[in-house]
Amino acid sequence: MEMDLGADQVINPEVALKACQEVLLMDKLQNREAPEQRRDDQQQQQQQQQRFADPTEGSAPLWLVSPDACSIKEEDEGDEAEEEGRLHRDPSPPPRPAPPSLLPAAAASKQSWLLRLFESKLFDVSMAISYLYKSKEPGVQAYIGNRLFSFPDSEVDFYLPQLLNMYVHMDTEVGDAIRPYLIHRCRGGITFSLLTAWLLGAYSSDMHISTQRHSRGTKLRKLILSDELKPTAPPPDALVPVCGSPPSSPPRSRCHRRHNSSNTDSASLFSSAGPAPAEAFLSPTRRTHHRSKSDATTASSEPGSGLRRTGSNPKVEAVHEEPERLRPQRELVKSLLGIGKRLATLPTKEQKTQRLISELSQLNHKLPARVWLPTAERQHHVCRIPHTQAVVLNSKDKAPYIIYVEVLECKSFETSPVPVRIPETRIRSARSAENLDCGGASDANNVGMMSEHRAGSFSTVPNYDNDDEAWATDDIGQLQVEVEAQTSSSDNISQFSVDSITSLESKEPVFIAAGDIRRRLSENLAHTPTTFRRDPEDPSAVALKEPWEDKVRRIREGSPYGHLMNWRLLSVIVKCGDDLRQELLAYQVLRQLQSIWQQERVPLWIKPYKILVMSSDSGMIEPVLNAVSLHQVRKQSQLSLLDYFLQEHGSFTTEAFLAAQRSFVQSCAGYSLICYLLQVKDRHNGNILLDSEGHIIHIDFGFILSSSPRNLGFETSAFKLTSEFVDVMGGLDGDMFIYYKMLILQGLIAARKHMEKVLQIVEIMQQGSHLACFHGSSTIRGLKERFHMSLTEEQLQLLVEQLVDGSMRSITTKLYDSFQYVTNGIM
Amino acid sequence: MSQVEKKAGLLRRTSSSKKPLKEKVVLMYDEIFAKEDPAKNNPRFWDELFLMKVNLEYLESKLESVDGEEVQRIQDNINSLFHHCIQALGEEHQIKVVNALQTLCALFRGVHQKNKSASGFDIINMLMGFDKAEQRMKDLMERLDSLLCGGGSESLKSLCLKLLLCLVTVTDNISQNTILEYVMINSIFEAILQILSDVSSRGQHGYDAVVLLALLVNYRKYESVNPYIVKLSIVDDEPTLDGMGMVVHQALTEYNRQYKDKEEENQGGFFSTFTSMVGSMFIADADEKLSVQTNEAILLALYEAVHLNRNFITVLAQSHPEMDIPTTPTTPTPTTPTTPLGTTPPSLDMMNNPELPLDPNLQTSNLLITFLKYASIVMQDTKDEHRLNSARLCLIILTCIAEDQYADAFLHDDNMNFRVNLHRMPMRHRKKAVDKNIPSRPLVCAVLDLMVEFIVTHMMKDFPMDLYMRCVQIIHKLLCYQKKCRIRLHYTWRELWSALINLLKFLLSNETTLLAKHNIFHLALLVVNLFNMFITYGDTFLPTSNSYDELYYEIVRMHQVFDNLYCMVLRVSTNTGQWKEAASKVTHALVNVRAIVNHFDPKIESYAAVNHISQLSEEQVLEVVRSNYDTLTLKLQDGLDQFERYSEQPKEAAFFKELVRSISLNVRKNVSLNTLSQGVLLKEFSTIS
Repeated sequence: MEMDLGADQVINPEVALKACQEVLLMDKLQNREAPEQRRDDQQQQQQQQQRFADPTEGSAPLWLVSPDACSIKEEDEGDEAEEEGRLHRDPSPPPRPAPPSLLPAAAASKQSWLLRLFESKLFDVSMAISYLYKSKEPGVQAYIGNRLFSFPDSEVDFYLPQLLNMYVHMDTEVGDAIRPYLIHRCRGGITFSLLTAWLLGAYSSDMHISTQRHSRGTKLRKLILSDELKPTAPPPDALVPVCGSPPSSPPRSRCHRRHNSSNTDSASLFSSAGPAPAEAFLSPTRRTHHRSKSDATTASSEPGSGLRRTGSNPKVEAVHEEPERLRPQRELVKSLLGIGKRLATLPTKEQKTQRLISELSQLNHKLPARVWLPTAERQHHVCRIPHTQAVVLNSKDKAPYIIYVEVLECKSFETSPVPVRIPETRIRSARSAENLDCGGASDANNVGMMSEHRAGSFSTVPNYDNDDEAWATDDIGQLQVEVEAQTSSSDNISQFSVDSITSLESKEPVFIAAGDIRRRLSENLAHTPTTFRRDPEDPSAVALKEPWEDKVRRIREGSPYGHLMNWRLLSVIVKCGDDLRQELLAYQVLRQLQSIWQQERVPLWIKPYKILVMSSDSGMIEPVLNAVSLHQVRKQSQLSLLDYFLQEHGSFTTEAFLAAQRSFVQSCAGYSLICYLLQVKDRHNGNILLDSEGHIIHIDFGFILSSSPRNLGFETSAFKLTSEFVDVMGGLDGDMFIYYKMLILQGLIAARKHMEKVLQIVEIMQQGSHLACFHGSSTIRGLKERFHMSLTEEQLQLLVEQLVDGSMRSITTKLYDSFQYVTNGIM
Repeated sequence: MSQVEKKAGLLRRTSSSKKPLKEKVVLMYDEIFAKEDPAKNNPRFWDELFLMKVNLEYLESKLESVDGEEVQRIQDNINSLFHHCIQALGEEHQIKVVNALQTLCALFRGVHQKNKSASGFDIINMLMGFDKAEQRMKDLMERLDSLLCGGGSESLKSLCLKLLLCLVTVTDNISQNTILEYVMINSIFEAILQILSDVSSRGQHGYDAVVLLALLVNYRKYESVNPYIVKLSIVDDEPTLDGMGMVVHQALTEYNRQYKDKEEENQGGFFSTFTSMVGSMFIADADEKLSVQTNEAILLALYEAVHLNRNFITVLAQSHPEMDIPTTPTTPTPTTPTTPLGTTPPSLDMMNNPELPLDPNLQTSNLLITFLKYASIVMQDTKDEHRLNSARLCLIILTCIAEDQYADAFLHDDNMNFRVNLHRMPMRHRKKAVDKNIPSRPLVCAVLDLMVEFIVTHMMKDFPMDLYMRCVQIIHKLLCYQKKCRIRLHYTWRELWSALINLLKFLLSNETTLLAKHNIFHLALLVVNLFNMFITYGDTFLPTSNSYDELYYEIVRMHQVFDNLYCMVLRVSTNTGQWKEAASKVTHALVNVRAIVNHFDPKIESYAAVNHISQLSEEQVLEVVRSNYDTLTLKLQDGLDQFERYSEQPKEAAFFKELVRSISLNVRKNVSLNTLSQGVLLKEFSTIS
């Protein structure tokens, strides 16, 4: 992959042409005179750069709009020559963003202040996006389009929804400016390709059906899904055009096409790409054939083509590997979503869960594969889905479910070999091998029993070590009784050795008190950590309550892959039939606010959870670990929130309780502010989670900004602050409550300072959107007003007091809770 | 499906046109049975022969009628016929292949019918000739293998399997079938696996393939190294194993379904329906009697898979949406074995297949559930020898499952809850269980329920001691696992306790009759030791503290049974006799139970006296129990959590020998019927196309 990264000169000449046609009129004449000469210059320049180049560097090359790009004819003529030359291309380092001097003089002078800003270190992605959105100047847009290449991928990724929404819904100029960057990144990686394709699909869905089919977004999506945009991998020493070089060297794929189908107009590569890839997409077999043929012809026409793929036979790879680039992952997603759809048709939770388990076990047969969870931080391959652990989540008519996924981390999921499948039953041998190393003490018990418990329960009896046990089993073996211990190796318990040894050692009878047995039983039962009862109507409660570490250990012990060093457990919620675009928007706003608060050092706590939009009605959510909903807490524990805190963390004065209380207050403040700013509604207890550290986490941002559930107007308060919450904070007069109000104030002041950053996220997404949260015309204005830019800090403090006061007194919150209880059974 | 129709239609036609006419093929057979080489006068004799429709009856009867001296005379011709059959298998012309397969069938059968007493070597000599036998059989097996694995007609494959089944079952005792030695050397195991791994071929030939495999595994099982045993034990390809499981699953499901239909049909005459309903499971035109044994064959296959292959255990828990119609291919199983997502393109798409049933009432099931239901039906009545065997085999399979750690893990998996509708025998003293509200529980609960059900329903004069032993041992193995892994199963243990106590009661009251036939002390010891497990290790696996109190309550309540048992074993152990040893073991095992009874009985009585209550309520007794634990001392007993692992040899060898013999007989009957119709079908099929 390394070699691919640097080498994507994927600007469309046409795009460039359009972008600068107007502003470059004058330069065009000048530069046209000596294109040949320029090219030589460039080569020299490149060679120079090459010396400083780190070919593995990840940042992208930049293509600057260059004067002679406006002549397609010329570019075409030069193409054959380029072909030869490109064999020596270098995946060289991306040039720095265009120096302003390269911008057309006229424009430059007019916008010099802007250019200085663009050049300055302060200019970040957020600003770039903002200017891209606001500027009507094609030159600026084109510049920013190029400038995108110079930002770290991860920073741009955050704004991907904005970029794509602009691409889909804004005018051609913006689209053209962004496109090269998108294409480049798509070539760079499967993840980006798929994310882009999914988002494009989702954001295009708001368009009218007739326009949608021919829209830019749909076309790009098809292009990506057709897998045309695979990394072009020129030989390491190939040419790389530098800034200011003509965008005449066409993308790699084009020369294949050229050889393959001579009638394809090179200039219309991207714009006309629609039908061809679409067709290819529909018939993979045909495409494979076509591709291999094209590669073969390439090979014959280009003497050096063998270099294209690190020495391996290009034809073989073309046939066996290339068509599979996106497919495994798409198949996985498709089947996961398919399961969700089918589950929705089943009437009871129990049936849903059973069906889910059975479907997932089928899916397991195809793992490991080159698939991954896009929500994860690190590169990995999915190796197994512990299907019995999956549960259906609570939802009235949909069937979202959570799955746990075992993955093996790797360097790069695209290139690292897919792990070898290990049969399910292999687990036993693996386990016993492990036990031989670490002795019987740390036995791996697949039923989730902890060794401490065991030790504890038999604390009265001396523990015999392994030697004794070995002796014991041998002896029993002589007695021709095959002891279970032999089959399960040292998996067997110290307790077992106690049983058999005591009896073997002496013929003296051993006596035990019945009272001890009874006592141990009740102690054992008391010692098990507080778990929730299994409730067929709420299967997820038990699964979510189990501490993550315990779950990881338990699943690891039961997994045939568990012994591998790079084994990890991930989880993901699959949602089907839900539009997650609003969730994504909320996630972005939360992330933005979180980083603002971090930057301003105010300790408000929120937990944005990752959202993957896969279409306008499906997607995946990163689950919040170690958290159960307040509803589940209530129903299972039958305690007030404060009592639950005391039960879980200890009495008022303990450190654990105080820490939990602090967490609670900080998270309450964070979410109070979020709820106020975003007008988050539908705040019943099923939508508020409580994690094991005491934080609350709001989930389900289905009703934000301008939308509210059924518009009953129940929740009129700014945010949800029940007396139970206040009790946990130590009452109205407590220090923690004051701290809570102070945090809100500080958070609001900090947020106000960076309002633009927040606003911009929302504003861009409003473009062309039919989402309910943008309903009406005053969405942005309202949001802006809630930042209260005009108020002084004292006035703000008063405002916060009012908000808190109002929320607390609000009977509507209470009303809403009882409404939820009556309609949905949520306590 | 259309084949079935065609088949039905064709059958009618043949039956109407069954007139004795001297066909040309018969004349040709006569030529073969003459002294001369038939090809001498007609060089194209063999070519022509295989273009003729085979007359199985004639050929077989001809072979039968050959007597000792004649054999010598015509041996060359028969050798030649056999040889040409094998050659014809390689022909492109499908007719020839079909006829060759059928002729081979007739040859194998005819020769064996004739030579019932003759040794295997004579038979081989007569068919192939000693010197060429090895080569001939090698060729035959290779041809069959390529036919089975090739992309040829499905009917041809089916016929190949029939031929193999026919060959495997020509002798009553499979181990005496000397020709199978060559089938051992030239294995067709891989071909069988391939059939099972492919969805479509599994649907059509899976049943035959599985039965064939089960039989082959049983060839000289205990005397020599059987390559099929070795190979079966190491298969780890999940789609293949899954395929095997699916075939068994479907067969058992179909049986369960038919049983249920029949049961609903005539609620009253239960026992009469039992025999009549079983029939015609897989072959529409087979007569009823065959099918009971057919199930034994499938059950045997299940047993061999569970017993020999540890990977197969995962298949048991592999869940599938329950299918009502056996002909529909069940859940999409990957067609290509263990390929990653990418390389099996469309199979995942099947999940989006709109034809996939979306019936909300569809229960998810798995092989184990189906098997448990099946077992619950079969175990209801064990009077008939076949059903007794089936029940025994079911219990043996369960024994193997209970011993397997992985199986135990999923049996006890808290996340895998199912409702298992076991069949319960209608009995005088209890209503037919119509509780549709069985809670969804871990699978082990269903196993325990089944065991309890068996214990309760089989206390009869003709006491199935062997089954009871297995049953109690299964419970013991499950308890050992729970104890070892500290699984606190939420099961109503009380039902088990009272069933066990009733069993002891039954043994006591029928002591004399039972002792004439069985060692009842062994069973009594096992039962008492189950109680000892609960008493001494209850803290490790009982679900609540209350359940421990209930255990004591139950023992104290039924103390009379234990008292009587003690008296009885004490009496027998003090007398000299063959049961002295066995009985004294029970005496020792009873020590804790007696301690409990002796400890609490006076306490309860005094409580009653003090409080002037004549009849204590359960709660009051529990109260007494709870407050008097501390003064009770129990004795830790040896090896309560140890058990003898199941091993087929030598204990079960005789059973399996007999079982295989009866399966062989029935498969043979089945095949002969079927081969014919199959042949007609093929003939028709090939002339049309």
